[in-house]
Amino acid sequence: MFFFKELEKTIQLHPSYFGPLIRSHIHRELLLKEEGSSTGKFTIVCILDSFDISDGQVIPGSGAAEYTVHYKAIVWRPYKGEVMDGVVTSVIRAGFFVDCGSLQAFVGRAMIPTDIKFDANATPPQWTDNGDQIIEKGTNIRIKIKGLRSEVDKMYAIGTMKEDYLGPLQS
Amino acid sequence: MKILSPPGLHYPITVGELAKRRDDEVKRSDPLFTYFYETVVEEGDKWGETKEVKKRFPVKFEASIDGAIKEWFVKQGSVVQRPGVSLLEIEEPCTHETQFGGLCVDCGKDMTEVDYLTKEVNSDRATVNMTHDNIALLVSQKEASRAEEDSKKRLLSAKKLSLIVDLDQTVIHTTCERTIAEWQADPENPNYDAVKDVKSFQLADDAVSHVAANWYYVKMRPGLQDFFERMSKLYEMHIYTMATRAYAQAVAKIIDPERKYFGDRILSRDENYTDKLKSLHRLFPNNTDMAVIIDDRADIWGYSENLVRVPVFNFFPGAGDINASFLPKQQELVTQASKGKSVEIAPKAKMEIEGEAPAILSVAASPTETVPAEPIDGATNELEQQLLAMGAGESHEKLEEQAKEQEKVIIAQQTERPLLQQQLVLDKEDEEAEETETAEPAENGHSQSSEHHKHRHSLLHDDDRGLEVIEANLRLVHQTFYDEYRKHRVVPSGGRVAELKGEKSPKKRPRDGHVPDIAEIMPRIKGQTLDSCVIVFSGIIPLGMDVANSDFALWVKSFGAEISLNVNKYTTHVIANPDRKTTKVKKAARYPNIKIVNAEWMFQCCTQWKHVDETPYLIEMDDADRGGSPFEELEDDSINVSGDENGLEPIESPVQLDMSDDQWKSMGDELDDFLNESDGTEDASASESESVVSTNSTSKRKRKRDPESNDNSEDDDSDASINSASKLARRKRRTMERVTSLNTVVNADKSSGLPSPETTGPEEEQGEEDGKTFDPQGEGADLDSDFDDGLEAEMMAEFEKSGSEDI
Repeated sequence: MFFFKELEKTIQLHPSYFGPLIRSHIHRELLLKEEGSSTGKFTIVCILDSFDISDGQVIPGSGAAEYTVHYKAIVWRPYKGEVMDGVVTSVIRAGFFVDCGSLQAFVGRAMIPTDIKFDANATPPQWTDNGDQIIEKGTNIRIKIKGLRSEVDKMYAIGTMKEDYLGPLQS
Repeated sequence: MKILSPPGLHYPITVGELAKRRDDEVKRSDPLFTYFYETVVEEGDKWGETKEVKKRFPVKFEASIDGAIKEWFVKQGSVVQRPGVSLLEIEEPCTHETQFGGLCVDCGKDMTEVDYLTKEVNSDRATVNMTHDNIALLVSQKEASRAEEDSKKRLLSAKKLSLIVDLDQTVIHTTCERTIAEWQADPENPNYDAVKDVKSFQLADDAVSHVAANWYYVKMRPGLQDFFERMSKLYEMHIYTMATRAYAQAVAKIIDPERKYFGDRILSRDENYTDKLKSLHRLFPNNTDMAVIIDDRADIWGYSENLVRVPVFNFFPGAGDINASFLPKQQELVTQASKGKSVEIAPKAKMEIEGEAPAILSVAASPTETVPAEPIDGATNELEQQLLAMGAGESHEKLEEQAKEQEKVIIAQQTERPLLQQQLVLDKEDEEAEETETAEPAENGHSQSSEHHKHRHSLLHDDDRGLEVIEANLRLVHQTFYDEYRKHRVVPSGGRVAELKGEKSPKKRPRDGHVPDIAEIMPRIKGQTLDSCVIVFSGIIPLGMDVANSDFALWVKSFGAEISLNVNKYTTHVIANPDRKTTKVKKAARYPNIKIVNAEWMFQCCTQWKHVDETPYLIEMDDADRGGSPFEELEDDSINVSGDENGLEPIESPVQLDMSDDQWKSMGDELDDFLNESDGTEDASASESESVVSTNSTSKRKRKRDPESNDNSEDDDSDASINSASKLARRKRRTMERVTSLNTVVNADKSSGLPSPETTGPEEEQGEEDGKTFDPQGEGADLDSDFDDGLEAEMMAEFEKSGSEDI
């Protein structure tokens, strides 16, 4: 689910950037470092451009300046039971891997409808019901999150396809 | 899952009431039964007196897992005496056989949770990783063997085997040098033909080199597409490389653009857990029966029986394996030197030794010497690298260092551009060659070779035929495997009879018959290649290395040959360095049945899996050597010992004659050094000479000399040595000095030895006599006569020396 969230970030700036363009440097640094990063709980999708930069403070010893930036961002946090779209990255006998933005999900054999079977002899290997549903690398797919676990800067999810309207998307 | 009585309870315990019956559903932390235990406690009464009372404490036993109760093993009143007794069995709805990132794939539960009920962490149930491209997905042993059984059936029905393919220097060769792009753009360049099909790519996240936009140039081994096309019918192919994931994928895109050969079966360093070793069990945890590996290195596979070792593909000379800096250093002394030099260099190299006109020599050497000064440079560089590697312990520092080393290699390739330099050298040589040609139009037999020097020489040669050889081997293995498999499938009628006789229960026989094991088949096929060969290495394996366990020895052994340390009557082949006449070569030359060949013969045999005809690889021996004049042997020996004989037979090393007093003195110092750090073999040699101390005064010198030679052997070697780096460096320097000074003596000695035919004449006969006496005697006697021979030679030498001094 997407949220609108206020966040805070401390940015250190090298003295060579001190000058009239300092604000844009801070802005660039913020976008570069934060956008797309994952905290383990949520992923920062987009930083909105209105943000609040504190007064800079020179760090003794290094000459770099430290700024505390308050900004608003759109973040994405996956929840158990959420339905999301992703792209299949790898297909194996035990299931297949799906990338949903920053979240890597795995759909196991038990979570795939029984009419879709693994075909190891196809090149490349695929899950298919021998009809129009083919799951191979690059397939767009809709899955539902069955389980979720977060580590420091990474999230793992278990997905399922065993419900209505889930599965490969026709594109 | 069976619930056992846990450790840490107050045993014995008595089971009270069972809270759940059979087939009841239980939830985690539901009470299963009550139990009580008795213990003695101190109790105080109101008067402050304490007394010991036996008391009974009731406790609830809670379920640690969800599920339904399948069976009770205890009933009310049972007494459990110790931990580890089965209490009940709970059937779980999900056994968490497959886990992804700490989550069960089937039920989505977190496997890493730990609380007061946790007996064992759920994540321990799935520990096997058999996925190529992911380290987060783990399966249990049971699931792994199920998956393997599946793929085995699939492969058998498709009549295929699994083939693990290494990338770098096996099927491709990569360099980072920009020169390739320039050559590709220039059709005039002599290397244009060779590099026109080189593919290049960039890696987006190239954190390794810190250099922006690093281009990788990939040369496919000639015939690679056809090779894959044909092999994919016989094998299911996997990539297993020590490169990074991004690199492996980029290369896979080049060698398999449609992803039809490899699919997603790519395993890289990132998923390998270790960067030192490759293991079949990473991909096939339980069953490696049907897996064949092709790789150019055997050491990182631990000399696996499933390995088909292939000739190294070295297209860009000097580039090496850019992804090998994480691997243990390879012993490459000869491979590097002999690679690129083909068989025909042998006579030319010989010419070089004999010392013809230097101008001609450079011409003769240039077409084959693709890597200028490579042998020498390679050796010293490697030595230094190994010293470096020794200095750095097994730690994080080392890892960092290796990363830096790889970086350095890449940067060096980018900035120094060794290929370009080499081509320039080559061009220059060509020019010189033309000049010499015009200067001396007709020089004995070389006019022909100078003829095709007129156009510029190309540095790169697109003539690798390694894949054809590999293919033949792989076909052979495949055919043998399925022949055997079929044979076993036909057998069942016989098996049926046996079964009726009651010899074999039908249960024991798996339905799909016996599946042969590659690890048995391959050694059997290979073992026939050099069967009944007894091989002696001379001048091939670096000094001080354990010969029997050296890379080459293990390789040759896997083809059925025997390795022996010394030349004796059982020896059939001596593999020698054509540039050096070592003691062993000289000794072997006296036996007409021993074939003295260069290392190329070994490589050909081991790559083609055939006993290759030795003739083109024979090292030509002078008649004098064949005759076995002990005089020459003696003189050469003295050089070999102090120089670079491989130290395999320190016992045989005779006296050193041409030495001034201070040299003797320095040797004495070294002897002291040596005595402080003697080891087993040297002790043996010392005691060997001990027995003859009284016989002759020269033998005393000899003994001094013996440890000396051992000393040398320690010096030159860099792998086996355990000395500190600085000490080693010092001694290395010392050895180098000695080597150089004595190398100059070679020619002088030879010429000085020649003009006294009347003295060599009788000796020759004697030598022959000795040669004859070797044959009937056993090995033990062999040593003795050997020694006598040496002694006689010593005495003769001394005699001659004094004689020449008089003159």
